[in-house]
Amino acid sequence: MTLIDTDDQRDLASSVARFVAGQAPMSAVRETIRSEASFDPAVWRRLSQEIGVAGLAIPEEYGGAGASWSDLVVAVRALGAGLVPTPLLATSVLAAGTLLALDDKDARREWLPRFAEGTAIGTLAVSEGSRGWASGGSSVSVADGALTGTKTGVLNAAEADVLLVSTADGIFLVEKDAPGLTVTPVEGLDLTQGVATVALENTPGRLLAGDAAAALDTVLDVANLVLAAEQAAATKACLDMTTEYAKIRYSFGQPIGIYQGVKHPLANIYTDWALTDAAVRRASESLAEGAATASLDAAAARHLASSGYVEAAKQTMLLHGGIGFTWEHDAHLYYRNAITGNVLLGGPAFQQDRIAEKLGI
Amino acid sequence: MSTEEFRAKALAWLQQNAKPFDENSQGSSATLEESKAFQKGLWEAGLAGITWPTEYGGQGLGTAEQLAFNEVAADFRMPVGPFVIGLGMPAPTLLEFGTEEQKKRYIPPMLRGDEIWSQLFSEPSGGSDVASLQTSAVKVEDGWLINGQKVWTSGAQFSNFGAVLVRTDPTRPKHQGITMFIVDLHHPGVTVRPLVVATGDAPFNEVFFDDVHVPDDAVIGEVNNGWAVAVAMLRYERVTIGTGVRARANPLGYDALVELVRARGLDSDPSARRTLARVYAKESAMRSYSAVLHQEAKAGLPIGARGSAAKLAGAVFPLWVSDLVQEVFAEELALQTPDTLPLTRAILAAPGYATAGGSNEIQRNIIAERVLGLPKDAGVDKNIPFNQLKLSK
Repeated sequence: MTLIDTDDQRDLASSVARFVAGQAPMSAVRETIRSEASFDPAVWRRLSQEIGVAGLAIPEEYGGAGASWSDLVVAVRALGAGLVPTPLLATSVLAAGTLLALDDKDARREWLPRFAEGTAIGTLAVSEGSRGWASGGSSVSVADGALTGTKTGVLNAAEADVLLVSTADGIFLVEKDAPGLTVTPVEGLDLTQGVATVALENTPGRLLAGDAAAALDTVLDVANLVLAAEQAAATKACLDMTTEYAKIRYSFGQPIGIYQGVKHPLANIYTDWALTDAAVRRASESLAEGAATASLDAAAARHLASSGYVEAAKQTMLLHGGIGFTWEHDAHLYYRNAITGNVLLGGPAFQQDRIAEKLGI
Repeated sequence: MSTEEFRAKALAWLQQNAKPFDENSQGSSATLEESKAFQKGLWEAGLAGITWPTEYGGQGLGTAEQLAFNEVAADFRMPVGPFVIGLGMPAPTLLEFGTEEQKKRYIPPMLRGDEIWSQLFSEPSGGSDVASLQTSAVKVEDGWLINGQKVWTSGAQFSNFGAVLVRTDPTRPKHQGITMFIVDLHHPGVTVRPLVVATGDAPFNEVFFDDVHVPDDAVIGEVNNGWAVAVAMLRYERVTIGTGVRARANPLGYDALVELVRARGLDSDPSARRTLARVYAKESAMRSYSAVLHQEAKAGLPIGARGSAAKLAGAVFPLWVSDLVQEVFAEELALQTPDTLPLTRAILAAPGYATAGGSNEIQRNIIAERVLGLPKDAGVDKNIPFNQLKLSK
């Protein structure tokens, strides 16, 4: 199992990092935050068309690059480090991953090429306000192919052209202008991620062919992996930002980084990050190889990355002192993103239970 | 021989000569003679000193073979405890700094299991601040005369030789007047006393030097350049400690804990299940991190001081699990029931990992300063001659 990046992956990482530095630096992220939109469509289009991020893990027969999830992970690291708001998780992971895990060729042919070229946004509506992912089934009812019920915490639902909605009868495809569909954006904790509540009132949808439960389980593995990679990268960004600050901020005549009260928390964050990064690399390889431990490795990586990022982002605020508590400083953007990522798409208890289940305890 | 053939050879030999881990034996109870015989057999089978040069008794193979051996060996109880220190620290240090004569004289008998080595750095007055050591060597006509005391020495009672760090010039600043010597621990001036620790065991010793004479060719590296040699040896030590996690042997590891949890029917308890999940995730990540460091080293990427992160993680882990298991097993831990005894012993032993081989605080300093590039601790004593330093209140 290779746990270090290949030359191609290093090239991909640096081209995405260059793109982020040039096209989506923190000043641009702040501009997006101030706007009504939850991401900048021009940035997403260029990321998709110039670098091919949206379609990286979509097979070639559906217009993608046919690369592996581990290649997508490499691209996600650079985006996560810069908190770049994109519909990547919703479209390229949740929606594309679900279509790929189901058996509906028509739906794949219709939507995957458009996801890959960045001209359509997709998302997956699973959660219904419980603490889990799809635990406890769904209360969305289906009558004559029409859905009624409510989904919460749906990523990028306000911008989505197509929603994949889980129900007790399977996963349904609902298009954005379907009658009875109401998408209400939520003013969420995370300012860099669009989230909405989706209400369905006798909304027509098409039942997708395939095993819904198995597909949701598979796509959760990919979501865990990608989110973990994004969180590990953001953790490193928090660490780097705080380390640089500790070198230039002086108190009592010395840079604060000389004091063990500052350097030791940073060493702890580094150590936890190093372990998490290694866990993400293992999960990434497990998924790419289709290893028997793929679900376990992905959930373990997600658990470590989510909890570690919350701690790192919190320490980033604390170690910056008063400055880190201001609106102008980026620390709170990371802290908001960290907490949101820790609790969305299956929170901490859910992930720990999943690890135990996959361990066969 | 391909890596796979090497792996098969290693597996075949271990199946013949070592006990697998799944036997319910409690730890390694091998005698010193059995350990020596095992090490000799390992060497005769071409499985000792895998990556070391053949002219010093090694096998001259690559990291791939070493990793293959490590993977296979993890499933066996190998009674090589007495050799872990010598082969893990003094031997690679000799390979790096030793003279041709020293390498030829000392490395082959270590690999063959004929001679055992210890490492003697820490003193009663300072472990974290090793460079403040006070054991001294005075130049005499045909060598040096050593006097002083070392502490926390593993295996000194059965060692033939020690790599001993000694002050040779107290008029220089503390890092600049230190020399590393090879000392025959059977010399009549050497006294070894067992040191009983919190668990009630005596895994370490105190070692006293009383006019111990060593020849000039006992110096490793150069006179007064012993600090550089010591730093190299400590780096090897961190790799040995940080990457030597033997999961199945560890009562605070997932494999052992899940057995205890199942035996008590606690495997349906949500809190116990989540504890096991967290332990598994962390332990698995520690293994993955070791693998990342090995793969990077193999690819020629510099590891630098990142071994300290592995060492720190390995020392924090048992303390963290010690806290968690108190919720899971409750009263049973206080009563030391027969099957939780290894666990309570491991809990008592856990604080030792946080000081052995450099305390957690020292590792955090190293990570912060050498990995993250933060400014170094003030080090007010750095440029003052050692004999003018204040050493205690």
